[in-house]
Amino acid sequence: MKSLQIAATGMAAQQMRVDVISNNIANMSTAAYRPRVAEFSDLVYQQYLTPGTLTSQTGTVVPAGIQLGTGVKASTVSIEITQGSMRQTGGELDIGIDGAGFLEITLPDGESAYTRDGKLNRSPDGEIVTMDGYSLADGITIPSDANRISISRDGEVVAYYDNQPNGQSIGVISLATFVNEKGLEALGDNLFRETEASGQANSQVPGSQGVGTVRQGFLEDSSVDVVKEISDLIEAQRGYELNSKVITASDEMLAATTRLR
Amino acid sequence: MSNSIYATLSRQDGLLKELQVVANNIANTNTSGYKTDRALFAEYVMATGNDTPSLSMGGLAGHSFDLTQGTVKFTGGKFDLAIQGDGFFALETDAGQRLTRAGAFQLSSDGQLITADGARVLDSGNTPIQIPPDVEGLSIAGDGTISANGQILGQVGVFTPTGQLQRDTDTRFVAQGGVEAVETASVLQGALEASNVSPVLEMARMIEVQRAYEAGQTVLEREDQRITQFISTVRDR
Repeated sequence: MKSLQIAATGMAAQQMRVDVISNNIANMSTAAYRPRVAEFSDLVYQQYLTPGTLTSQTGTVVPAGIQLGTGVKASTVSIEITQGSMRQTGGELDIGIDGAGFLEITLPDGESAYTRDGKLNRSPDGEIVTMDGYSLADGITIPSDANRISISRDGEVVAYYDNQPNGQSIGVISLATFVNEKGLEALGDNLFRETEASGQANSQVPGSQGVGTVRQGFLEDSSVDVVKEISDLIEAQRGYELNSKVITASDEMLAATTRLR
Repeated sequence: MSNSIYATLSRQDGLLKELQVVANNIANTNTSGYKTDRALFAEYVMATGNDTPSLSMGGLAGHSFDLTQGTVKFTGGKFDLAIQGDGFFALETDAGQRLTRAGAFQLSSDGQLITADGARVLDSGNTPIQIPPDVEGLSIAGDGTISANGQILGQVGVFTPTGQLQRDTDTRFVAQGGVEAVETASVLQGALEASNVSPVLEMARMIEVQRAYEAGQTVLEREDQRITQFISTVRDR
């Protein structure tokens, strides 16, 4: 009874879809979170009678054949590349990225990670770090006697001192872009790592061709569309129920068979 | 043995396979680009070798895909493409050329337009599509032309098979008789074609299959009783 297993693959697929949706909804307030979408594709077909098989010496062929499907599988859970809305926070070290690009972070083990979450802070020795204390790869340290800093749209960080009208540039926040952002590996904590599929990080000045700009005093909101997620959830739930009905029907047919004897 | 048992068995076997087709359709209600499968039954005549010259049975003879348009679902993805009307995207896979209507594409690390499992999408000239990195304002027009800032970068090919189509895994088809380009293709950017499975129709078909199967089992039961009765009648004489 193949239909039992086929319906089981259908239920597993819908279950996975619910998992993805619930993760999206759980992250509806996570800064710069991008929703994931599960995509499915059909499984291998059993060839009972291959289309195109000769049926006579005159060259007539089987037009459609018999190919029986064996269910569904998840083909990919990909990141939707969307821009979240910008929320004004006024924070001096809050950075929203408007357009493509990621901030490059150096992890404690020396490897690079990438994030769009621009909630930055200052470490005890003045370095610009993330909420977890990982430093920005650009390695910018704010002098302790600076009374305020400003970050321009093209990423230049300028420190201002008392009694000095003109500020002093202390570094540039660069943005990393990837050929295929969907190929990045999510590490949790809003961090991503480059992979073979994403291509190498291309560190660029914000605002240059194909790169977004940096907005001081803003944070990028999660781009989860809750209404869409809920309607997808309803669809997934009904899909699950449909597949469970197939299992019931298969079971009843099996029962009819066993009743024979 | 009784010929009616053979005829009923062929029907029961066909029904089990039809349920498999229905189950596969229902399992793929959310598979983008999936096309509903239909089982076709035909009579076949078997020589029985005894006094009655032949026996007519019903069996699964073939199947057809319902190639009607699935609903178009807007996703906003830059490389999510849906075809309105006829045609398929052509893919270059390790196993050869494949056709598909599932248009969730992305860029590979070297800038080629690929599917989630790395098959390359072909343009109208049957070559992979290369997109330069860091292009801004990329758009894909209705005829598949990819452009950025007024500059044409390529054209997504839309093809139609000239011969028979055979199903392959991953919502793909094999065109056995080759393909030809569609003149008036209509490609939508930022959308995916949903599965064209109608849950209501499939449920109705499933109930039909189930009841027909039960009816068949009853025929078998009755036939069994009839033979038993016949044997005991003959024995008791």
